[in-house]
Amino acid sequence: MSRLLKKACFALGAAGVVGYALLPVAWILALSLKSGDDVGNQKFWPTSFTLENYRAVFASPLFTSALVNSIGISLVATTISVALSTLAAYAIARLEFPGKKAILEIALAIAMFPVVSLVGPLFDTWRSIGLYDTWLGLILPYMSFTLPLSIWVLSAFFRQIPWELEQAAQMDGATSWQAFRKVIVPIAAPGVFTAAILTFFFAWNDFVFGISLTSTDRARPVPAALAFFSGASQFQQPAVAIAAAAVVVTVPVVALVLLFQQRIVAGLTAGAVKG
Amino acid sequence: MKHYADGFAAVNNVSLDIEDGEFVTLVGPSGCGKSTILRMIAGLEDVSSGEVLIAGERVNEQPPRTRNLAMVFQNYALYPHLSVFENIAFPLRLSRERGKQEIRGRVEQVAKLLELTDLLDRRPSQLSGGQRQRVAMGRAMVRDARAFLFDEPLSNLDAKLRGQMRTEIGRLQRKLRFTTVYVTHDQIEAMTLGERVAVLHKGVLQQVGQPREIYECPVNLFVAGFIGSPPMNFVPATVSGGIVSLPFASVELSREARERIGGRDLVVAGIRPECFEEAHLVPSDERDQGVSFKATVDLTEWLGNVQFAYVPFEAQGAVSRQLKSLASDLGSESSRTQLTISLDAESRVRGGHPVEFWFAARRMHLFDPASGLNLTRPGQA
Repeated sequence: MSRLLKKACFALGAAGVVGYALLPVAWILALSLKSGDDVGNQKFWPTSFTLENYRAVFASPLFTSALVNSIGISLVATTISVALSTLAAYAIARLEFPGKKAILEIALAIAMFPVVSLVGPLFDTWRSIGLYDTWLGLILPYMSFTLPLSIWVLSAFFRQIPWELEQAAQMDGATSWQAFRKVIVPIAAPGVFTAAILTFFFAWNDFVFGISLTSTDRARPVPAALAFFSGASQFQQPAVAIAAAAVVVTVPVVALVLLFQQRIVAGLTAGAVKG
Repeated sequence: MKHYADGFAAVNNVSLDIEDGEFVTLVGPSGCGKSTILRMIAGLEDVSSGEVLIAGERVNEQPPRTRNLAMVFQNYALYPHLSVFENIAFPLRLSRERGKQEIRGRVEQVAKLLELTDLLDRRPSQLSGGQRQRVAMGRAMVRDARAFLFDEPLSNLDAKLRGQMRTEIGRLQRKLRFTTVYVTHDQIEAMTLGERVAVLHKGVLQQVGQPREIYECPVNLFVAGFIGSPPMNFVPATVSGGIVSLPFASVELSREARERIGGRDLVVAGIRPECFEEAHLVPSDERDQGVSFKATVDLTEWLGNVQFAYVPFEAQGAVSRQLKSLASDLGSESSRTQLTISLDAESRVRGGHPVEFWFAARRMHLFDPASGLNLTRPGQA
C-alpha cells in the first residue's frame, strides 16, 4: 500500500512542479488566443479562440523588424563565437604556452561578470564610435560573454579526446588542419553543438543590451521590442499583443531545446565520462 | 635501411640499422626510451642530434605524413566516429589518389586478410579488444607504407588474447615481409617475434642481436636479468686461486675464465633456473663437468608443465648491495636472496627437505660487479 502511496506522492509532486513552471506559459498562451474584448473577463481560457492577435503582431512593422534583427544578430553572434572558441579551445587543450592557465581563469571571471554594470560605459563608447543602434553594436557585447564560456566548455571537451587520434591521423597522411577537421571536429561535435545552442539562447533572450544599445528598429531585438508594445496606441489591449509576440518568440526556443535536448545533455555531461 | 643516432637524455647515443623486411623488436622496462625512439622514427618526436635515415634519405625535418610509415598505437587510436570500413579507408581517402572502387577493393582485401569482413559496418565501440587491434593493423596495412611501427600493441589485451595476436602478427609479417619495428616491455613478445632484438635500458642500447644470442650470451647483468623468464639467478661470489666460491658451492675455473677475470676477487655469478638439475638424475659420465651441492628447498610451486623450487642462500657485502639495485632496475621487488630452480613437473622435490642439486660449470656466467659486463661466455667457464 505504501508503494502506491509513494507513487501517488511522487506524481503529485511532479504535477505540482510542472504546473508551477508551466502556469505562466499557459497563461500567456491563453491570453494570446483571446480576442480583444475577452481580455478583461477574468477567465483563464478565452471564450472564443482567435488568431487575430497573431495576425496583428505579424502585421506590425515594429515586431517583424525586431524579429529579423533578433534572428540575424543571434545567428551571426553564434557563428562567429563558435568558430573562434573552437579554435581557441583546441589551442588551449593541445598546446603548451605561457599564460595558458591565466587565459582560462580570466575567461571564467569574465563569464561571471554582471552584465548590467557594463551598460553605462558601453552606451557612451558605442555612441562615440558610431556602433550605437547597429547589429555589430550588439554582436560584440554578446560575443564578449559567450566566447569565454564556450572556450571553457570546449577546452574541457577537447582535453577528453586522446592526442593519439590526431597522431594516428598524421601517420595516415593528414596535415594538422585535415586532422583537426576530419577527426577532432566530428568527435567534438556534441560539445560544439552545446556551445552553439547556449550562445544562441544568450543572444536571443538578452534584454539588457537590446534595450540600452538600440534606439530604432534598425537593430532592436524582440525582447526589447516587446517593451515598446505598451506604447503603441493602435492596439486596443496591448497586453494581448504582447502575449502573442511572447509566444512567437518563445516557440522556436522551446522547439530547439526539445529537438536537441539529448545532444545538449550529452554535451554537458560528456566531459565527465570518458568517451 | 634505416639508421639513426643520438638523442637527448631520454635516448642516449642509440645507433641502429634495420634491414628491409626485417622484424626488429625494441625491448626494455618502462621509461627506457624505446617508445621515444619509435616516435622519433615516425616523426612524432624531435631528434635533438643525429639522423633518421629512411632508404638512405635523411628525414629529420619531414613531418610524419611524408615519411610514409604506418603506426599501430598502444590504445589503437581508432576513429570512434567512423565505421571499421571508414577507419581502414581513412588514409586512402586522404591521399585522394585513388578512386572509390579502388579504395573499396583494397579495404576489402585487407579486411579479408585480417578476418574483419563481417565487422566492416560496425563502430569501434562495438568491437572487442582483439578486433580493435586488428582494425588498427588493417589501417596500417592498407597503405603500402615503407615500414610498420608497433608501439606496445598487445599490452592492452588479456593474456590469452595476447598470445593469439602475437602469433597472428608474427605470421602476417613472415608472410608479407614488411619491415617492422616493434616496441614492447614484454620480453616474451620480443624473443618470439623479433628476428633481431634490441635491449634498451635508461636510454642506452645494451645489446642487439638474435634472440638466441641474447639469451645465451648476454653482454651484461641487465640483459642477463631482463631476458628469460623466470629470470637468471644472480649470486655474489669470491674468486681466489682459480676457484670461484658461491655461497653454496665452489667451482674450479678454466684457464680462459681465469684470464678474463684477472685480478678481481669479487664477481657476480649468473645461473639460469633451467641449468640446475637434481643430482641423482645426472648421468655419471657428465657429473664431473659440473658441481653438486646440498641445499634445503624453501618452497616449491607446481605449474603443471614445470615446477619451481626456491632455495635461499646467504649473501652479504658490497656485491649484494649492487644486486639489490640491479633488482630494482629490472623492476623486481624481491627482498630475499634465493635461487629459482626449474625442475621437471614430475620431480619429487618438496619444500622443507634437503636436496642434492647439480649444475654444469660451463653454463655459469660470471659478471664484473662494478661494470656489470659479462666476463665469460657459455662453454668457457
